[in-house]
Amino acid sequence: MEKVLDVRELKVALRRDVHRSETEILKGVEFSIGKKESLALVGESGSGKTLTAMTVMGLLPENMSVKKGEVLLCGRDILKMSQQELRDVRGVKAGMIFQEPSSYLNPVFTAGNQIFEAIKDTSLSVKEKKKRCIDVLKDVGFTEDIYYRYPHQLSGGQQQRVMIAIALVNNPSLLIADEPTTALDVTTAAGIIELLKILMERYGLSLLFITHDISLVSNFVDKIAVMYAGRIVEITDAKMTMDMPLHPYTEKLIACLPERYNSGEKIKTIEGSVPDFHNLPSGCPFHPRCPYVMEICRKSEPPVVKKYGILVRCFKYGMSMET
Amino acid sequence: MRRYILFRLLQFIPLLLGMTFVSFIIIQMAPGDYFTQMQMNPDVSPQTIENMRRTFGLDRPVVIQYFFWLKNIFRFDLGVSFSYHIPVSFLIKQKLKNTLALSLFSIFLTWLIAIPLGIFAAIKQGRWHEKILSFLAYIGISLPAFLIAMLMVFFAARTAILPVGGTTSVFYIGATGWEKFLDYLGHLLLPGLALTFAGIGGLYRLMKNNFLEVLGAPYIITARAKGLSPVKVYFKHTLRNAINPMITIFGYTLSSVLSGAALVEIITNWPGMGRLMLDAVLSQDLYLVMASLLIGGVLLIVGNLIADVLIAFVDPRVRLR
Amino acid sequence: MRVFIRRLKDKNRLSFVSLWILVFLYCLALLADFIVPYPYDLQHREYALCPPVLPHIFHNGRISRPFVYGIEIVNPAFKEYRQDTGKIYPLKFFVKGSERKILGIIKTDRYLFGTGNGKVFLFGTDNHGRDVFSRVLYGARISLSIGVIGVAISFILGLFIGGISGYFGGKVDAFLMRLVEIIMMFPFFYLMLALRAIFPANLSSVQVYLLIVVILSLIGWASLARIIRGMVLSIKEEEYVMAARALGLSSFRIITRHILPNTFSYTITALTLSIPDYILGESALSLLGLGIQEPYPSWGNMLSVAVGNLRVLTGAPWMLIPGFFIFLTVITFNFLGDGLRDVMDPKNW
Repeated sequence: MEKVLDVRELKVALRRDVHRSETEILKGVEFSIGKKESLALVGESGSGKTLTAMTVMGLLPENMSVKKGEVLLCGRDILKMSQQELRDVRGVKAGMIFQEPSSYLNPVFTAGNQIFEAIKDTSLSVKEKKKRCIDVLKDVGFTEDIYYRYPHQLSGGQQQRVMIAIALVNNPSLLIADEPTTALDVTTAAGIIELLKILMERYGLSLLFITHDISLVSNFVDKIAVMYAGRIVEITDAKMTMDMPLHPYTEKLIACLPERYNSGEKIKTIEGSVPDFHNLPSGCPFHPRCPYVMEICRKSEPPVVKKYGILVRCFKYGMSMET
Repeated sequence: MRRYILFRLLQFIPLLLGMTFVSFIIIQMAPGDYFTQMQMNPDVSPQTIENMRRTFGLDRPVVIQYFFWLKNIFRFDLGVSFSYHIPVSFLIKQKLKNTLALSLFSIFLTWLIAIPLGIFAAIKQGRWHEKILSFLAYIGISLPAFLIAMLMVFFAARTAILPVGGTTSVFYIGATGWEKFLDYLGHLLLPGLALTFAGIGGLYRLMKNNFLEVLGAPYIITARAKGLSPVKVYFKHTLRNAINPMITIFGYTLSSVLSGAALVEIITNWPGMGRLMLDAVLSQDLYLVMASLLIGGVLLIVGNLIADVLIAFVDPRVRLR
Repeated sequence: MRVFIRRLKDKNRLSFVSLWILVFLYCLALLADFIVPYPYDLQHREYALCPPVLPHIFHNGRISRPFVYGIEIVNPAFKEYRQDTGKIYPLKFFVKGSERKILGIIKTDRYLFGTGNGKVFLFGTDNHGRDVFSRVLYGARISLSIGVIGVAISFILGLFIGGISGYFGGKVDAFLMRLVEIIMMFPFFYLMLALRAIFPANLSSVQVYLLIVVILSLIGWASLARIIRGMVLSIKEEEYVMAARALGLSSFRIITRHILPNTFSYTITALTLSIPDYILGESALSLLGLGIQEPYPSWGNMLSVAVGNLRVLTGAPWMLIPGFFIFLTVITFNFLGDGLRDVMDPKNW
């Protein structure tokens, strides 16, 4: 299958000026998304999900740098592109929407203005461009008058739909959604998810959906990649994950979901906390919180193994690739 | 919008009353009055002085005096100067013109230089360009205007490039209108540049910090994620937001025009409000001082109103409230 | 404290250097009685407006112990001097002279340096023939102390009034904040002049000094009070203040023990950065002849000789040296303040 996004062995480091040292935040992230396929990147905050997305957009903050790896977007490595080439790719090949639409929209320009300026096709006349804006506004469920509204005149859900319109105005192959529903209330969030489903169909989109809520995506995306401390620890078919989590961390994430409780039962949490990047535990970074911890987990990092067709990083499933 | 401006205007009235009342009290707290010094003069009889006190109303209680003054203000009568024996409005008019010319010149120049430099430095944050500019800004902030004025007078006198003192040259009479204007501008240059140099550093830093703050805003990430060019990211998305706080600053700048220029005017011998005010305060020329303070207060209000209107103009969140 | 200084050194090298320059300046001011070669009011009538006379160490191409040449006046009308290379006066350290008291306490009859019969004017002399170097050092006492004392008074006033205003809110707050606004509405320079005019012109140096401190503090507290009020308003809503209130602590105790300490890291930075305003305020007043009175020197009144007197200004540029010291003090306080901000901000640790 043709791959829209292929991330290979991606390593990203943070420079710390005070100590003039570097800390690796992404430690070899690997996943791929096929055409019209959707993948959810799931993990606690601080696991490196957003950083992965920003790398794909070529929008790393200045104190971060890519140490290794390839990010192939529609077959071209964006890490090797010049700034100009990157700008040509952004919006055209991949669009992105964010967590808090209210702060990600510029308060002093109208919604229309912000969609309009995103259009990359220079062959279009002003009139055609405006028509394209209104078309995409209609696609996200608006009428024409939203074009002239300022962000502060819109509700959170409306703002997020304007963001989607901005991201889709150039017909990109990939949409990156970084926790697009977290800042919205439940009903609005459901509306956004529904809209994304419809738009994926209509635009033939591939989707990279980032969330900390595994239940939100389990029956909506094709694949789920679980991230922990800068690594993907498990990539599975979304339908399988909920019933058969392999990695102890995935298992814990699912066990904590509120809908899994019977009434009166005590709420579960994962003991311990997300490790500090500057001070990671030895061996498997999850071992201090893992109920199945073995001696080897403390000493060395688990390799990727394939179990029941699922890629997982855990010593529970042996040391090497099963064939 | 119109209601908003009216509301702001109304807010200022009690402040203006409070300020003029406080200044009235302060000036009257000083021992004696203008005529005390006259009593030393053997040529002036105590009777004359008593009469003069009565004509100016100085024999009545302070609060009554204040209300008389206030009543006259509403009739656009600023009173008469004790020392010059002419209406205060007449006295102030010429001096105020010079002070405003000086201040507007230096404000214009300061903003013209500081704003682009601030933007440039914010874009080059952490690079050598920014480091040099910021270091120079430190020096600018730390050099008081009066010292810059003295240094400039020193160099001007040594090199004779710029005229020092006054507003006109000796050959002024008989010059054409254009020559007169250039001559005036030439004299304005020295105090004007001194004030400009003193102001650039602070304004540069404000602009740079604002710009940097906006550059860190999430909607700048959106703009970049759209693949916009740096020109659009900086000059459309960042600048439009970074300029808002600067407009408020602009309002304040306008109000501090009188105070800020005074010392430089005295040092460079520019015939503005500075020297007039200094003499008026020292000789307790009551109505002259009050008029100057009133003008200061009015300028503050005007400055703030201009800022309010401008902000509403650039920020839809204020305009479409 | 030591940790603090080390952090300053790591975070902001310039402010670390500034700290030491300031320490040095304060030492000079404190030990002025011991360091200066001449009393501040000693007039060398025959050497008015004499350019700086600096020590040399080379004589006829050979290195020798430090010495100064004799000076003689060439043109008394235009105050032109020249060095007489024929006369040599060695520069002596720890020379004996008439007895002085360091800070009015420790008696000493030895000074840091002197030349016996020659004259050493490191920064030249003023129009009365007084040694500018000696006067700069004595003047430092005014400028360096006025900022700190003025800020301390403003700080107490601002902390107190801002604290009350923010904590109690309502009518108290409304009244105090209108007062602050009125003060801030005044053109600063005119308010300073008007307040100065309340008091007679011919006060003693000490009285004028105290007066200036009070005037500057009376103007300066307003902006500080407003800032502190804002901080108190936000801190007031924090849980630990709620907890203290739930425990039934008195308002005074809550303000002084729980709220104000939390504003310290910010206020200390703000204070350091506002010290220059006081120094400049004093200089401006003295420059206009309304501040410290002759013969006692302050950096401001030393500069006043050069104001409006082009001949002095162009002929004797060393009269601007006090201005350099004003600049040096202000810029070091600015650097230090910014350094403190970096160090105090927990985000930067």
